Amino acid sequence: MQAMVKLYGTLGKSVPGYVHADGISVTIPEGGKVADLLSALNIPESQNVVVVMDGRILTSNETLRNDVWVNVMQSLHGG
Amino acid sequence: MVIRLHGATINNGGVGMKLLRVDMSTKSVRFEDVPAQYMGLGGRGLTSIIINTEVPPTCDPLGPQNKMIIAPGSLSGTPLVNTSRISIGAKSPLTGTIKESNAGGTVADALGRLGITAIIVEGTAPEGNLSLLRIDKTGEASLVSAQEHKGLRTYALTKELFKQYGEKNAILCIGPAGEYKLASASVQSSDVEGRPARAAGRGGMGAVMGAKGLKAVIVEQGGKSPDAIANPEAFQEAAKAVAKAIRANPMSGGMMPALGTAGLVAPVNSLGAFPSYNARKGVLEGWEKISGEAMAEMITKRGGKTTHMGCSQCIVHCSNEFMDDKGNYVTSALEYETIWSMGGMTGVADLDTIARLDFLCDDIGVDTMNTGIAIAIALDAGYRKFGDGQAVIDMVEEIAKGTELGRIIGSGPVAVGKHFNNPRIPAVKGQGVAAYDPRAMQGNGVTFATCPMGADHTAGNLVGEYLVGALDPLKTEGQVETSRNLQIGVAAIDCTGMCFMAAVALVEGEGAQAFLNAINAKFGTQLGPADIPALGIRVLKAEREFNKKAGFTEKDDRLPRFYYEEPLPPHNKVFLMSDQELDSVFGVLEE
Repeated sequence: MQAMVKLYGTLGKSVPGYVHADGISVTIPEGGKVADLLSALNIPESQNVVVVMDGRILTSNETLRNDVWVNVMQSLHGG
Repeated sequence: MVIRLHGATINNGGVGMKLLRVDMSTKSVRFEDVPAQYMGLGGRGLTSIIINTEVPPTCDPLGPQNKMIIAPGSLSGTPLVNTSRISIGAKSPLTGTIKESNAGGTVADALGRLGITAIIVEGTAPEGNLSLLRIDKTGEASLVSAQEHKGLRTYALTKELFKQYGEKNAILCIGPAGEYKLASASVQSSDVEGRPARAAGRGGMGAVMGAKGLKAVIVEQGGKSPDAIANPEAFQEAAKAVAKAIRANPMSGGMMPALGTAGLVAPVNSLGAFPSYNARKGVLEGWEKISGEAMAEMITKRGGKTTHMGCSQCIVHCSNEFMDDKGNYVTSALEYETIWSMGGMTGVADLDTIARLDFLCDDIGVDTMNTGIAIAIALDAGYRKFGDGQAVIDMVEEIAKGTELGRIIGSGPVAVGKHFNNPRIPAVKGQGVAAYDPRAMQGNGVTFATCPMGADHTAGNLVGEYLVGALDPLKTEGQVETSRNLQIGVAAIDCTGMCFMAAVALVEGEGAQAFLNAINAKFGTQLGPADIPALGIRVLKAEREFNKKAGFTEKDDRLPRFYYEEPLPPHNKVFLMSDQELDSVFGVLEE
């Protein structure tokens, strides 16, 4: 399946040719999960990445959909 | 103890840590040794404990009995990186509670290098009388007339002061809003470029300074009489480890230099927690246009700086310099809370307008957060339309002019709500909330409700806990404990002068140990990990004790009704935390 992904923070810089306005379409297995997406994007866990879909943070075992944007971002603290 | 009259000078002698007492009623200044009860404290710990000890809790915040305390952190002025937060405290004219507001810039480092633990400003000058407090690098302090600076905005004021006293100075100052004694008035702090672009914005500390008749504090940099470091070799080693941890952390060493705090616009909107249109929605239409990513791209195209050093000793560089489309300087730094208050709350999804508003607030000397919320309440009442950027600019300019509307806006959200008969006032104890809606981030609502200083984003912000998946922001479980622990931890960190953006690297692992080692090497102590929260608890207890004596009760630790009644799109949740849960945040500390 194709996941429609937008990358935030500094993540876009690690994908050659990434244009934020367009996002990126990522090929993952049918019924693919968060872990599949991060693997396809070659983003290591050390990047403290957060995957948000439908206003909710997903765990690594949750399944992605192909009809909504998936936002991939880095965790931050606020103060 | 030596007393000098207005215009005369006094020297702290450069030996040991000193308090500088400034009496605006008699125009006198004097140095004194730090009393035992204040020893080892710094920053917020010092401001809060001095206020709780010396200020009558029921006094008029703008009267002579209130005191304004200016305190660098306990580590400010040392070689340790990122220790340049200056704490400014008083009884707040906005909330009626005890208040500490801290800012970056250069003055904490300058005071620390002079061995000045705190400046205590007492009394009030005769109405209309303005002074400057000048401290030179030998430690000489004096009050001089500032009548010629009356009414000046902060950029023009600092330009004149640097011309008069030289560029190697650090400045705290107020603008017209402070002179008008408006409850949203800020104290502006000069950055490393000499711009008054850092703000102790919250709680109306600028109004207290204005009421005292103090237009600016000018501290010469390059002082050579800091407090001694007990174990210099151990301190140097610890300082290196602290710097290494800050650089290695993905947030302080990666995201902050790239986007600054504006990097939060995307995640908080994505989670539906970005209070928009006076907190009617949790997502701003067009938020991508004002995101940190969009801002960085715009700044880069225009020749500005996305990575900028704003504060002394800083290695994080989360600041930025925002330019207009002709490449001219507009403001520094455009940060998350301002992007939200002037963009999200007002419905203005335009960075150029928001940057202009940020500059205006710094220049006039008002809190961007309280002011954006106040304006949003007026827009919500139909005064102008959401999204009308020019109307928002005009409303901020009214503050500088001192018009009736301007004074109402500058008095904060509650004043505007009353004026426009709009009960939807997103404030606690009179202070506007921050950029995390309690209905979509329940724990931030816990902090807003229970913080001794009114709704405060710096007091114990749970957004990071949600983003790392430690808590579900929409559920009640774990929110009370996490808010409590964060409020305690932040109260301790705020004593040291350490910037929160660096402190994120120092809360666990090697970074935490290195920070503790630095504290022990500085003071010759043997503190363990449990002593840090103990310090935070001591500070919070003093703050709550002051508030109790001022007449505050648990019933004041509540959110406005609409948070409990109006579901927030897109999650359509209300604030779910019970009164008992809110009361248990600090109840356990006082049993």
